[in-house]
Amino acid sequence: MSGAANPVMPIDPCQEDPEKLAEFEANIANGVLIEPGDWMPEAYRVGMLRMSEHHANSEIVGALPEGEWITRAPSLRRKLALTAKVQDEVGHGQMLYRVSQDLGKSREDMLRDLCTGKTKYHNCFNYPAPTWADIAMIQWLIDGAAIMNQKTLADGAYGPYVRTMHRINMEEAFHFKSGEDMVLTLMSGTKKQKQMTQEAFDRWWGPSIMFFGPPDKPGCEDMPPMRWRMKIETNDSLRQRFVNRFAPAARDLGLVVHVCEKNEEGFVTQKQVDELCTPDEDGNWGFTTPNWDEFFKVIRGNGPCNAHRLALRRFSYEQGAWVRRAIASGDTTLPPAA
Amino acid sequence: MTAMQDMLNDPVANFALSIADDLLMLGHVQGDWTGIGPILEEDIASSSMSQDDLSHALMLFEHLGNRFGLDADVIAYERSPEDYRCCDLVTVPDEFDWAVALTRRWFVAHWAAPALERLGTSDDDELNERCRRLRSEQGLHLSYLDDWMRRLGAGEGHDRMQAAMTSLAPQACMLFELPTGLDDEDHRSRRDEIFEAWSRATTAVLTDAGFSVDLTMPSEEHIGGRRGAHAKHFVEQHTEMNEVRCEDPGASW
Repeated sequence: MSGAANPVMPIDPCQEDPEKLAEFEANIANGVLIEPGDWMPEAYRVGMLRMSEHHANSEIVGALPEGEWITRAPSLRRKLALTAKVQDEVGHGQMLYRVSQDLGKSREDMLRDLCTGKTKYHNCFNYPAPTWADIAMIQWLIDGAAIMNQKTLADGAYGPYVRTMHRINMEEAFHFKSGEDMVLTLMSGTKKQKQMTQEAFDRWWGPSIMFFGPPDKPGCEDMPPMRWRMKIETNDSLRQRFVNRFAPAARDLGLVVHVCEKNEEGFVTQKQVDELCTPDEDGNWGFTTPNWDEFFKVIRGNGPCNAHRLALRRFSYEQGAWVRRAIASGDTTLPPAA
Repeated sequence: MTAMQDMLNDPVANFALSIADDLLMLGHVQGDWTGIGPILEEDIASSSMSQDDLSHALMLFEHLGNRFGLDADVIAYERSPEDYRCCDLVTVPDEFDWAVALTRRWFVAHWAAPALERLGTSDDDELNERCRRLRSEQGLHLSYLDDWMRRLGAGEGHDRMQAAMTSLAPQACMLFELPTGLDDEDHRSRRDEIFEAWSRATTAVLTDAGFSVDLTMPSEEHIGGRRGAHAKHFVEQHTEMNEVRCEDPGASW
């Protein structure tokens, strides 16, 4: 479901052998895919690992808010579709952990680091999903945003990640269709259903706009993450494309884009119509700048659901430890207290 | 008399419901594990089996729906708790103990296979064909779950699995409580045949894996759900299953 993190370059690529670095960059410029056994700058390996691990973490944490609604799904077909959807997210996590393992970190270490808060996952999963309509919004808006981002990542340079993106995107397209069908059904339903859907839309529009990360820094196109095709498109251009796609679609469904204020629990306390949300002469839809203070607060672990999501992942890790010990020989000790 | 009552008074429908309700509620409660399984690969496999169980329940509800003029979701969701024919084993709380969840599923899978075989010998070709398709997929669950039983029979897994089996065995035997409307000599004899097959197959795996459990046919006075008298945990699961539907009854979701 989730898009990948913005890769951070922790190591200066200038320390690399200039000849090898030049050949590596020429290969990328020529569209050659980089494979795990190929030479690569250490900064590239570490950056790809962080990106892939963050993406894998986001998939398995992203499974949690929707997973909590499987037992309450209101029809057998919705129950089946939601089970399959959450299962897909876990499967995406599994594939991405495999990609990350090739880059030098064991799955056990990655799961432990996630449980202890050493590594992160996507911000958008730290918001509450209190109604069935929130599940519709996650599948429509968040999966829609993820597809938009991941389609560009499938055009990247690291072979295993690119191939995984192709496969994930195929499945995400089904999730998006399912979400679209859920939103359509709710917005064609009773007055109560429509109200529930608008309220869920109000909760998820802001996190969707922030989904693509903070505003880009000047010159980001020339920095290693984009030069090495780890990241293909800027946050701001993806964000604009998302708004252009979903603002008119929401309006057509009878939903209103609001600028919302939320309380600590992530529930809307005040809202007003976003007057900027109209198209300009080029067809670009306007939107009110998101509250980036909120974004960074959630990233630092202080969002409405950070503690709940991490606690559930940790619970799962600890509860399953004996099964892993029973069948595997790896290091399966419990992580230290967070 | 309503279509629902017609269905609930029909012997074949009651037998079909006992299987369908088991699979429905098992798929439902196992849904709690989707996303938090002990191993990613096992999480995925468990979700696949849940989808199979729910799909198999749906196929039987669709058959009954066609026969009695009812919507499959209405059959699945909107009966009163006393009209569900499932065994309360399927909703017994697992407290997120994988040993309990796995053992519960294993007992039910071993019941579903011979029960579907028996249901598939009805006078209704369409129902028999559905049972044939379901049996082949339930057979895959069986071999998968049997392998897990054997794998967990050694080492740390053994004591946990043994504890889960000892605790669940009395409720597992209630799979053989005769559902309402099937309390006659013919059904009793068929039930005994299924019990024989179930206890033979489960005992073979248990012996292989080094477990020891007493499996005996329940006496008439024991109540396990199939006659409509359900444990509190079934009613709680039924309520949770209907939470969204009850928010706006009659709405389309």
